[in-house]
Amino acid sequence: MTAVLETRNVKRAYQMGKVTVSALRGVSLKVEESEFVAILGPSGSGKSTLLHVLGGLDRPDEGDLLIDGISLYALNENKLADVRLHKIGFVFQFFNLLPRLTALRNVELPLTLADVPEQESIKKAKEMLELVGLGDRITHRPTELSGGEQQRVAMARALINDPKIVLADEPTGNLDTTTGGEIVRLMQRLNEEKGQTFVVVTHDPSVAENADRILFLKDGLIQGEKKGVGGAYH
Amino acid sequence: MRRKQIVAMAWENMKLRRLRTSLTTLSVVIGITAIIALASLGEGFRVTVTQRMEEGFELNVLTVIPGSLFAGLSRERFRDYQVQNITKIDGVEVATQVMQIGNVTLYNGEKKVKAFVATAVNFTDFIKVFPDRFSFDAGGPPAQGRNDTIVIGYKVNYPNETETAFAKAGDNVTMSLSKTEQILTPPFLRYVMENHTFNVAGTLQKKGTPGLTNFDYWIFIPLETARNIYNTEESDLIFVRVSNPDYSERIADSIEDLFPPFRISILVPLTFIRQVDYIIGLVQLFLTSIASISLLVAGIGIMNIMTVSVMERTREIGIMKAIGAKNLTILTMFLTEATLIGILGGLIGVPTGYGLSYLLSFIVSRFIGGQQQDSVFQAPETQRAMVYPIFSLWWAVGAILFGIIVCVLFGLYPARKAAKLDPVKALRYE
Repeated sequence: MTAVLETRNVKRAYQMGKVTVSALRGVSLKVEESEFVAILGPSGSGKSTLLHVLGGLDRPDEGDLLIDGISLYALNENKLADVRLHKIGFVFQFFNLLPRLTALRNVELPLTLADVPEQESIKKAKEMLELVGLGDRITHRPTELSGGEQQRVAMARALINDPKIVLADEPTGNLDTTTGGEIVRLMQRLNEEKGQTFVVVTHDPSVAENADRILFLKDGLIQGEKKGVGGAYH
Repeated sequence: MRRKQIVAMAWENMKLRRLRTSLTTLSVVIGITAIIALASLGEGFRVTVTQRMEEGFELNVLTVIPGSLFAGLSRERFRDYQVQNITKIDGVEVATQVMQIGNVTLYNGEKKVKAFVATAVNFTDFIKVFPDRFSFDAGGPPAQGRNDTIVIGYKVNYPNETETAFAKAGDNVTMSLSKTEQILTPPFLRYVMENHTFNVAGTLQKKGTPGLTNFDYWIFIPLETARNIYNTEESDLIFVRVSNPDYSERIADSIEDLFPPFRISILVPLTFIRQVDYIIGLVQLFLTSIASISLLVAGIGIMNIMTVSVMERTREIGIMKAIGAKNLTILTMFLTEATLIGILGGLIGVPTGYGLSYLLSFIVSRFIGGQQQDSVFQAPETQRAMVYPIFSLWWAVGAILFGIIVCVLFGLYPARKAAKLDPVKALRYE
């Protein structure tokens, strides 16, 4: 198996007023293709920062980051945007759908950005919504959808450009246990059926334990790892 | 990003903030309206003035007068050979000299009329110079070789618009004119009044055109007769008809070369009209520039409202960036909104501007019309001063483009601000 995501000694510090906060203090990790990896850590451990760095939203101060063999560190902003568009799918805790667009348009948005012709992109977005079980909700706007449904739309949006890797930031953090469980199962299913690579950042061990592999993040460092129950599949 | 989708999203956003969009658009509408109204009125004014001047002047006719504004008026008089020399210039159709006799009174039996000036002309050539203006109401030009005939202008024949004519064609009228007579030796002169009888060959139609050559107030006698009366070979003015007004400036130069420097002046209507046109053009530009300021104010409004809009949509911008929107895409999204406001403002503003200019022209013409009624300069027969605004496609296109440019320029700052947002910070923004 090949690594779709690899970091080498990634460091990232923030200036909070006069204090410098070291969010990441040298993170090295590898994610193989079709792997489902959870990064588990308490709040303030640097989870979100790590996810932002992995997704090319934020630049590390030091260290290198490779996605699908491309070193993100060297890319300019436009190239980085292209990497986010084509190689990475994001799922956020607060769904982050565009409130004025219908579910279909939200899912279609990355294809729109990629200049895919409208007919084709709509067809694909419909298929993707079917896949996440929202085929009958395509004309609804986010406010007309439940939290779980919104997160499914977000999932469909993350997957539409056929990314190398989906990065999820507390995807169940804003959902009740039942709905959260459904989202986790959806990710597992996509991982198993489509071989989609997932990296899920969470503070919730019950979410993390479904992964193939769990990385423990604390104080900006990977403190260890163990196999999850999902690992049985591989 | 697909362009259609960008426009669709921009439109959605504008619809969502309907009041805000309407007010911003309104400010652009006001700016465009002001520009179009002033520009079209200015254009109408320019065309009206130019037209009137073209009516008043014969564009084909240059007038050679003695003296020069630079060197003072001389008592230069013209002679036959000079007229012949002018005729030889390339592009000159005909040149004719006239004598002007001031302070003339005409008597027809009991009736008496005072003319400002009697003009002594060579009728054959004079009619060639002014073929359109010299049209007869009754009678016609004097027969060749007759030196006791007179042609009377409309306002002389019908002073104060009275019903009865002073004279009819065929009447004999007496002209009383003054001339100086030498007594003893120079410089002793005295004025004497002389009476001469003329047969009315014809009366002229009413022309009512403004300008130098409104023959309504003129009376004409043969040049030879006047020369005999005053015992002179000289004349006061030369009218030159050119084949094409475009050559008039070159021909004027050639005529000037025939005379010693600063002894004559030449009135070239084309130059004059061009000057006036130029001046009005400048005034028009000036007014339009003032109107443009209101559009700039609208631009500042757009900048203000878009800055607010960028702040409100920070999170949305963060999302767009996270899923792969380039800075340019975000920039385009916001500039598209600014452009749409510009287009909308222009499309509404242009017709509104023309509407306003018609309203203004109506008000102004009523106002001026009332004012001029008793004026000395307002001949009753000239029509009311009316300035019609002129629709110019170029002005419309220009104003819309200008509106769009202003919107885009002022939208650029907030749009850039949006494009440069740090996606991580934007996503955290509440």
